[in-house]
Amino acid sequence: MNPRSWWAKLGHGSLMLLATVYCLFPIYFMLVQSLKTPEEDVFGNPFIVVNPTLENFAELFERKGEVRGFVGDALRRSYPFLDWLANTLFVFAGSVVATLVASVAAAYALGRLRPPGFRWWRRVILATYVVPQTILFIPLYQVVSALALDDSMLALLLVYPSMALPFCVWMLSSYFEHLPREIEEAALIEGASRATAFFRIILPMSRPVLVAAGIFTLGTVASDFMIASVFLLSPHNQTITAGLGTFDVALDELAAVAGVNVLAIPVVAISAVFARGFVRGLTASMVEGA
Amino acid sequence: MGSVKAVGRARDIRLAYLLLAPAVLLLLTVLAYPVGWEVWTSLTDLSPLKDGAPEYVGFTNYRRLLAGAEFWRPALVTVVYAVVTSGAKLALGLGFALLLARSFRGRALVFLAVFLPWAYPAGVSVIGWYWTLNPPTTTAYAPFMGHLKYAVDGTFGTGAWAFVSVILFNIWRGSSFIGVLLLAGINAVPPELFECAVLESKSPWRRFWLVTVPLLKPFLALAVFLSLTSAFADLANVWMLTAGRIVFPIIGTHAYFLAIKAGQYGPASALSLTLVPVLLGVLLVLFRLFDPPRREAA
Repeated sequence: MNPRSWWAKLGHGSLMLLATVYCLFPIYFMLVQSLKTPEEDVFGNPFIVVNPTLENFAELFERKGEVRGFVGDALRRSYPFLDWLANTLFVFAGSVVATLVASVAAAYALGRLRPPGFRWWRRVILATYVVPQTILFIPLYQVVSALALDDSMLALLLVYPSMALPFCVWMLSSYFEHLPREIEEAALIEGASRATAFFRIILPMSRPVLVAAGIFTLGTVASDFMIASVFLLSPHNQTITAGLGTFDVALDELAAVAGVNVLAIPVVAISAVFARGFVRGLTASMVEGA
Repeated sequence: MGSVKAVGRARDIRLAYLLLAPAVLLLLTVLAYPVGWEVWTSLTDLSPLKDGAPEYVGFTNYRRLLAGAEFWRPALVTVVYAVVTSGAKLALGLGFALLLARSFRGRALVFLAVFLPWAYPAGVSVIGWYWTLNPPTTTAYAPFMGHLKYAVDGTFGTGAWAFVSVILFNIWRGSSFIGVLLLAGINAVPPELFECAVLESKSPWRRFWLVTVPLLKPFLALAVFLSLTSAFADLANVWMLTAGRIVFPIIGTHAYFLAIKAGQYGPASALSLTLVPVLLGVLLVLFRLFDPPRREAA
């Protein structure tokens, strides 16, 4: 091995290490905080945890509403964490399913059936991202109230898909557009209906792109803080995000960081399982004229 | 024969509109009325503080905005914020993608690390970031973060630390997504094209600008667009990480402040709408670059 490639290897390795540390440090830090006892939080080394404990997590699930006589406990509000967990699960799963169904339908229409002006349809759908979200929640609240969805998780099921849908339609439709016509035509000639050809042939072969769209939707939905905190008011209807937003920093710091991890761990696990599929799906939608 | 085809085509088009309906209806429900409301409100003096019906005031809100510092300062900060974060996200993301494009031992793990900042739910990680950077006074690292905060604020003015933390968060999360997007883009380019480039030029730097960047242009453009719209719209991050203290206002937070704290719906709407023409202009330029390539009818 010549010395030049040895240096290149070292350089490459240290860049890798740097990238990994940069990406993981904040996540590691939050994980460490959530495992600390209050004593260690105050006096310990911030970067490591010596006596890891799960009491912060346990506390999340314990405090269900009884206010005991102690001043300290009365100050710390109670919250229905289990409800938050269930609500979050419902909202996330529902949003991913709704987004996928709506965007696959639209993308098939644009990529395969190609109505007149289909490129402009796709562009206009993507262009909805330029609408500034800033104070949009004021009129959006009027819409949600008019539909009698205020303080309901269904409001999020309406808003979240609209945040992920434009990119999913873009990705899926460009994938469908690049599939050779012959794929379906062979089936159609043999007498299959369009629907059969779609469900039997197109959909199964699109799995990587569907995975990518699903993961993108999950990431988008999980990134929202604003909509959830504005639209969900009563504690029993809140998602984890909305609920944690109401925590008091000084009193509930450790429990809150534990709450962050309760939501993050499953989302991260799902994303990690599908991470490679995510890239494969994105690639499949980008390949020219495949 | 021809007419049979025409009938089939007409049926396809009808089916296409039917399949588009759910997506379009969804977007219309969420966006049509709110955007209309925003446009109308920007032309009135609607305010929760004022009794009676709102009055139509024409373009007064816009004229006032453009005349006063209330628009130009947030606009300037917004531009700086968008340029800095997008530039850093692109540079870091491209770096990640190029590092991960070649195979080496442990690539799967490094890839996972790069993917996680985006996959980690930002709705709560922003809460974690806020408390990490502005910890409650009891924690062990609070004195250190306090010193850092005062050093930065002392040099650049109060609120600078909060602004820096927003930028850091935005870059941390965004560079992860762009890295993955560009990696997918690199995978989509036939490897022969890169191999030819190695034969053409010895200098890696020249190769990067002459081959890699042009080949990745559509994906870079898509990344710029997604980064810009999220940088401009990123209200929640700014809000959360600065806990409502708006010392370095960007257009989004300033509009929020005007609407919610000051009750001035009209100017707030006008302010947030000023972003639309800018972003649309950028989008129209970018469409040329990242539209899925046209395939000639075979």
